[in-house]
Amino acid sequence: MLHIKNLHARVGDKEILKGLTLDINPGEVHAIMGPNGTGKSTLASIIAGKADYEVTAGEIIFHGKNILEMSADERAREGIFLAFQYPVEIPGVSTTNFMKAALNAKRKHQGLEPISAKDFLKLMNEKRQIVELDKSYLSRSINEGFSGGEKKRNEIFQMAMLEPLFSVMDETDSGLDIDALRIVAEGVNKLRDKDNAFLVITHYQRLLNYIVPDFVHVMYDGRIVKTGDKNLALRMEEKGYDWIKEEVGA
Amino acid sequence: MAFTDNIDNTFAALEKDVLTPEREAALASFKALGVPSGRHEEWKYTNIKTKLPESLRLDDGRRTTDDSQRKFNSFKNIEGTKLVFVNGSYAPALSAIAAQDGVVAGSLRALRSQHADLIAKHFNKATDTTSENFAALNTAFAQDGAFIYIKRNVKAAQPVFIIHLYDAAAADVFTQSRNLIIAEEGAEINIVEDFQNAAGEKFYNHLAEIFVAANAEVNYVTLQLDNKHTTSVNTIDARVDQDARYHITTLTFEGKLVRNNVNAYMDGKGALATLNGLYLCTANNHIDSHILVDHRVPHCDSNQVYKGVLDGESTGVFNGKIFVRKDAQKTNAFQSSKAILLSDEASVNSKPQLEIYADDVKCSHGAAIGQINKNELFYLLARGIDEATARGILTYAYGSSIIADLPLEALRDHLYDRLKERLNITF
Ligand SMILES: Nc1ncnc2c1ncn2[C@@H]1O[C@H](COP(=O)(O)OP(=O)(O)OP(=O)(O)O)[C@@H](O)[C@H]1O
Ligand SMILES: [Mg+2]
Repeated sequence: MLHIKNLHARVGDKEILKGLTLDINPGEVHAIMGPNGTGKSTLASIIAGKADYEVTAGEIIFHGKNILEMSADERAREGIFLAFQYPVEIPGVSTTNFMKAALNAKRKHQGLEPISAKDFLKLMNEKRQIVELDKSYLSRSINEGFSGGEKKRNEIFQMAMLEPLFSVMDETDSGLDIDALRIVAEGVNKLRDKDNAFLVITHYQRLLNYIVPDFVHVMYDGRIVKTGDKNLALRMEEKGYDWIKEEVGA
Repeated sequence: MAFTDNIDNTFAALEKDVLTPEREAALASFKALGVPSGRHEEWKYTNIKTKLPESLRLDDGRRTTDDSQRKFNSFKNIEGTKLVFVNGSYAPALSAIAAQDGVVAGSLRALRSQHADLIAKHFNKATDTTSENFAALNTAFAQDGAFIYIKRNVKAAQPVFIIHLYDAAAADVFTQSRNLIIAEEGAEINIVEDFQNAAGEKFYNHLAEIFVAANAEVNYVTLQLDNKHTTSVNTIDARVDQDARYHITTLTFEGKLVRNNVNAYMDGKGALATLNGLYLCTANNHIDSHILVDHRVPHCDSNQVYKGVLDGESTGVFNGKIFVRKDAQKTNAFQSSKAILLSDEASVNSKPQLEIYADDVKCSHGAAIGQINKNELFYLLARGIDEATARGILTYAYGSSIIADLPLEALRDHLYDRLKERLNITF
């Protein structure tokens, strides 16, 4: 579904991704762990199409198309979703209106009519319950005054609304309390099926107890340096990153 | 031919009435002042001199359309009195007066004799014809406009709409229209004035005088939404008495050249004025907001929030003056002017001007000119919203707060829809 080959990227003179390769198939959940500043969010942003980064080599193929040639909004309409590490606040637009615009953009892309007001309300109600997001949040301005955890819940709510094929979750677990973590993770599990896939970026193994990954990758200095199954995450939690650094000779 | 050449003949042809002496003085004043050029300090960034018609023609009743055929936004879903003017002249067939005890609303021209004393007492007392070029011109030539009089302690249950339409048959007419609004002590009213120009090229010079007596409240909304081909000067002068509340909001969505003079004179202790505005400027439009709050007495509050959105090669001017006179201790005056530039060619001249002669006051101002926030934009793009729509949504988010503070839910809903339409977004 998503094939990243030898991806190199930089911001200004700073090289951040240094030959990253990753293959993700439908139905899979991949987790990425790795020290701060190693390029995880950069990878997520580049997949989503943020313009700040210059890709100097490599490619990202999504369903046979090189998405590096697509704008961020095209990618999203094609089914790529990024749950942000730091969701922005946008005063003046409600989450409801935002989602209506986003959903209708996708429907237009699929050749469908805009959703009716009735169906939209129904859909919102159904999807917000997946992450137990109270109705009142939907009429508030996007993320304005939301707590850290509420913002993350709102991200997964949006994911549920847009039903992407491929989702990157960038530290969705950070900022969530223990109950919220379970709720959000169970929400994600409800969204899993054989046709979609997830890339879960996290620092903590705990999340992976709920969202059980098929593969765990360790990223270091702009590359994936180790890949294993869910037990790799346990080992990372236990031993930290030093042994990885030693292994790659840093 | 210069605009001022035939001015005496035009004036001589006007009907004489009790206001004629005021008009003669204003005419003399206008002849001395002339049309301001770029050398005039208050017109430095707005070159109107070359943009006005070549001669001063007043409305002579020429019409392409019979009033009964006229299509316009009559705010059908909002109850209230509708006073409609075509080229500045009252159109009774289009108007509808909702009977309200203690509220007189109609044509200034038609009600002139019936309320002669009241009008004589107020007419031309809020505006400055000795130094304001267009106030002098308006006072000399305006024949009609809205007259709204709210009697003591009457809380008007319904708003009054003043709707200005323009007819293409009189494209060469330089409309001079004039309102007089008098809210007596303790009276309250919402007034919405809408300029709808569907007639093509159009010039108007409009002036409203508003008197807000002690404890009264006037909420005044000026709409310039359908204004593409309009060159206009609109002056709104208010005198705000003790403990009175005056709110003026100006929404300008387009306009070839728009000059809005919004002046509030704080005349009585404890008075409050809020002066808000949202202007959207596109193509080679030019929108100039000149705001003045004159704190003449102690203990008054004033708040100004102006937001601009400039696209294309458009230019904006914000000139916000706050005077705090020597006696005006304990004044609270706040001003914020913001603008976002959507293109590299658009520009805005923002000039806050605080002149404070009292020592125990709180005054602050802030000005910011920026762009659409990139992170916010990316957030919307990442959800599949195309860039033009995303920019529209963010502009809406920015501008709609000015609408949020307006009275009347139906009006707000109408304006939210108009803003969305203007920004080409739906949700
Ligand atoms: N737009 C940018 N401009 C400059 N430097 C950047 C930019 N984006 C990322 N970087 C730098 O690139 C490196 C990788 O950042 P990134 O956010 O991808 O790390 P991360 O692995 O997600 O870290 P964390 O675990 O702390 O979230 C960091 O050193 C960061 O400062
Ligand atoms: Mg990160």
